[in-house]
Amino acid sequence: MENQTFYYDNKIVKYFAYATLFWGVIGMVVGLLLALQLIWPDLSFGIPYTTFGRIRPIHTNAVIFAFVGNGMFTGIYYSLQRLCKARMFSDILSQINFWGWQLIIVLAAVSFACGMTVGKEYAELEWPIDILVALIWVVFGWNMFGTIIKRRTSHLYVAIWFYIATFVTIAILHITNSIAIPVNLFKSYPVYAGVQDALVQWWYGHNAVAFFLTTPFLGLMYYYLPKAANRPIYSYRLSIVHFWALIFMYIWAGPHHLIYSALPNWAQSLGIVFSVALIAPSWGGMVNGLLTLRGAWDKVREDPVLKFMVVAVTAYGMSTFEGPMMSTKTVNAISHFTDWTVGHAHIGALGWNGFMTFAVLYWLLPRIFRTKLYSTSMANAHFWIGTIGIIFYAVPLYWGAITQFSMWKEFTQEGFLKYPNFLETVTQLKPMYMARALGGGLYIVGTVLGLYNLILTVKGGNFLAEEAASAPALVSTSHTGESKHRWLERNPVPFLIVALLAVLVGGLIEIVPLYLIKSNVPTIASVKPYTPLELQGRDIYVREGCYTCHSQQVRPFRSETERYGEYAKAGEYVYDHPFQWGSKRNGPDLSREGVVNGKQYKPNSWHYNHMENPQKLNAQSIMPSYKWLLGDKLDISTTPRKIRIMQYLGVPYPEGFDKVANQDLMNQAQGIVDDLKIQGIQTTPDREIIAVIAYLQRLGKDVHAADQTAGIAPLK
Amino acid sequence: MEINDNKSIEMDELTNEKLLSGHEYDGIRELDNRLPRWWVWLFITSIVWAVVYVFVYDVFKVAPHQQEEYKNEMAAIGGGSQAQQAMAADTAGLVQLTAQANLDAGKATWNRLCIACHLAGGQGLVGPNLTDNFSIHGCGYKDIVNIITVGQPDKGMISWKAQLTRDQILDVASFVATLSGTNPPNPKAPQGDPCK
Repeated sequence: MENQTFYYDNKIVKYFAYATLFWGVIGMVVGLLLALQLIWPDLSFGIPYTTFGRIRPIHTNAVIFAFVGNGMFTGIYYSLQRLCKARMFSDILSQINFWGWQLIIVLAAVSFACGMTVGKEYAELEWPIDILVALIWVVFGWNMFGTIIKRRTSHLYVAIWFYIATFVTIAILHITNSIAIPVNLFKSYPVYAGVQDALVQWWYGHNAVAFFLTTPFLGLMYYYLPKAANRPIYSYRLSIVHFWALIFMYIWAGPHHLIYSALPNWAQSLGIVFSVALIAPSWGGMVNGLLTLRGAWDKVREDPVLKFMVVAVTAYGMSTFEGPMMSTKTVNAISHFTDWTVGHAHIGALGWNGFMTFAVLYWLLPRIFRTKLYSTSMANAHFWIGTIGIIFYAVPLYWGAITQFSMWKEFTQEGFLKYPNFLETVTQLKPMYMARALGGGLYIVGTVLGLYNLILTVKGGNFLAEEAASAPALVSTSHTGESKHRWLERNPVPFLIVALLAVLVGGLIEIVPLYLIKSNVPTIASVKPYTPLELQGRDIYVREGCYTCHSQQVRPFRSETERYGEYAKAGEYVYDHPFQWGSKRNGPDLSREGVVNGKQYKPNSWHYNHMENPQKLNAQSIMPSYKWLLGDKLDISTTPRKIRIMQYLGVPYPEGFDKVANQDLMNQAQGIVDDLKIQGIQTTPDREIIAVIAYLQRLGKDVHAADQTAGIAPLK
Repeated sequence: MEINDNKSIEMDELTNEKLLSGHEYDGIRELDNRLPRWWVWLFITSIVWAVVYVFVYDVFKVAPHQQEEYKNEMAAIGGGSQAQQAMAADTAGLVQLTAQANLDAGKATWNRLCIACHLAGGQGLVGPNLTDNFSIHGCGYKDIVNIITVGQPDKGMISWKAQLTRDQILDVASFVATLSGTNPPNPKAPQGDPCK
């Protein structure tokens, strides 16, 4: 058989590697700024573009999609070519993939800073960028599949199975979760509302973790770990079993983000049991990775690449055990909405994704630059500083979480909340936040050291853009007696289809009934649509990212209903496009904020003063100032269209309401302005703050209107 | 699963385990090891647990879902602070407390809960100035106890009886009474009626 000579494209690998390091540093520095803002709110600098609520999505998206995303592309573009014994299908598609992805990242950062957000975690991008993401993702898949089709190897290696699952699932998740109706170029409403939006979002959110942060990185592990250790994979059978179990079961676990919420019980149960049953499939990857190192542990002591990998795989194992534990009702009852979640996420991000990315870069950059790593001891220093950084990051957050939920749930002997003021439970965390910022800072120091080391490596190297390789062309041979799976490994399209079916089952079984069976979201007669002013106020709430610190989900516990009021019901969110339940409480829950006889109620003038300067009212508060809301004019030109979209989505505004909506808006605004005037505050009805106050004062009112008598009777 | 596209058996030198022939990808080989037994048992156990869980909670419904859990929790404490709500705003026979311990306790409550509207010195911002000689709800100690207990929510003063015990209310009211005439900086303009 004649050998064909061809060339691997190393240039595209180099591009992605540089982008990984560049965005990695930026994403981490923004994270550090956020960590410091939780200690010193003045670090929001009093301008909209740098407040916590707007830059938190920049941090999460930059780390996930820019740092880890580019790292994933780096690793895939290098390994796929070699595993297929073929150059990438199309250099043009490679270039579009690269530049398109970087364009998305820049657009994302700018649009988030400007407050353009859908308000759904890790899916904050507005619709034009969402479309761009979908297109670039398809380009990536097309390029990958083209390469697979024209490969010179008969079978697909396990790494490629994971790449295929990544491609197909992320495409489905992204498109389904992003369906929205545009108000204009910069604003859209998700078609889903309330509980349904929450389920779709966390089906997406959880599986973004699964199929963007886990499966591609397992793929990378399966290539780079045996390469770096020069050892065979421990068990091919384990690869098969854990791969299919993982992708089939992962997709069901989304509801574990919504335990003790208004999501129907049966959906919560499915989320819980699939999360726990995921331990073994997840650990399959860890076991196969670590057991591959048998006989190579002496190398682990020497080689920083393997050190990074061992800690990465171990962090993966820890994370995939901790996650299922946090999905049980017992643990979730206390861990949810606390820093435990943040600590958990960072074991994954810093340990698994971060360290695996560094391992890949340390392994591959010297190879394509035909040199040795500039300094092994510097890489070792990076490893240790990074590892200590992760510990300093996570341990204080776990400690803080235990502190905070204990305070949330503590009652006095007389039966009162010991800490009725939420702020007391936050102030307590400041030392932990300082230690966390130190840990994050250390991790960044390590990253910069790694960057420096790699720059010097590249400078001392000699880049090989076109790497020659040769292999015989693929010829069809007899495969009699092969197993079914072996057949699948030779046939990428059937493989793709089976993978697609495996991931579709769970999503369909959980999401479809929530739409078709009415009893899943029992209606509440007293719940009415938002007024136009409240709707505009809500959109500002979404724009400013209030959900990054405030939940709108009172859980059915005494400690919650005593603090906030009635626990959350599915029927109260039916007009919420998008839902704003949140996942972390840096401040109190706001879903009962407008209940006049409630425990959280504040008058209009309080909100006005508080938005201008939170520390004036609570010296210890860590909320940033939102003083621009007091001066900026509310854009009411969008009101009629917003009302029409809401009507289209099923919100029962009367026919023709869009034409009178702004009149209604001004009337309500005038009422709030008049009330503020009594309190000595002079403002005009056309300010954004008025709409925000209107929205906050509406929260929870409808649910409590259902049983007025149960509340505390007013004096007169 | 039968894997038999191997013709000649190759062994890994370090572990002396069987390498799969035909499984070679860019130099990466694969071993023919079976699944670790403990891993298989972990998997089976978790699936059995999952099935049992769904049957217990959602098919036979013999374990409580969150709504029943909440009912049980509330029943167990017999109302909790709700019982406090039955407490009438009975101010008859109340006398302002002057003991330092009471005033200190009152000040502690003040700093935790009251300053968010009345500010630290009681000079008022959202809520009225509590240091001047005017009052909306009456100037006397009993009036202060009353307004803290029942509130005036439509004017922004919430009822604190679900969050503070009777003793805490009496302490903080006694502390508030001492603020009168303290002249803190930036006082809010007088509201209500002059005190007699």
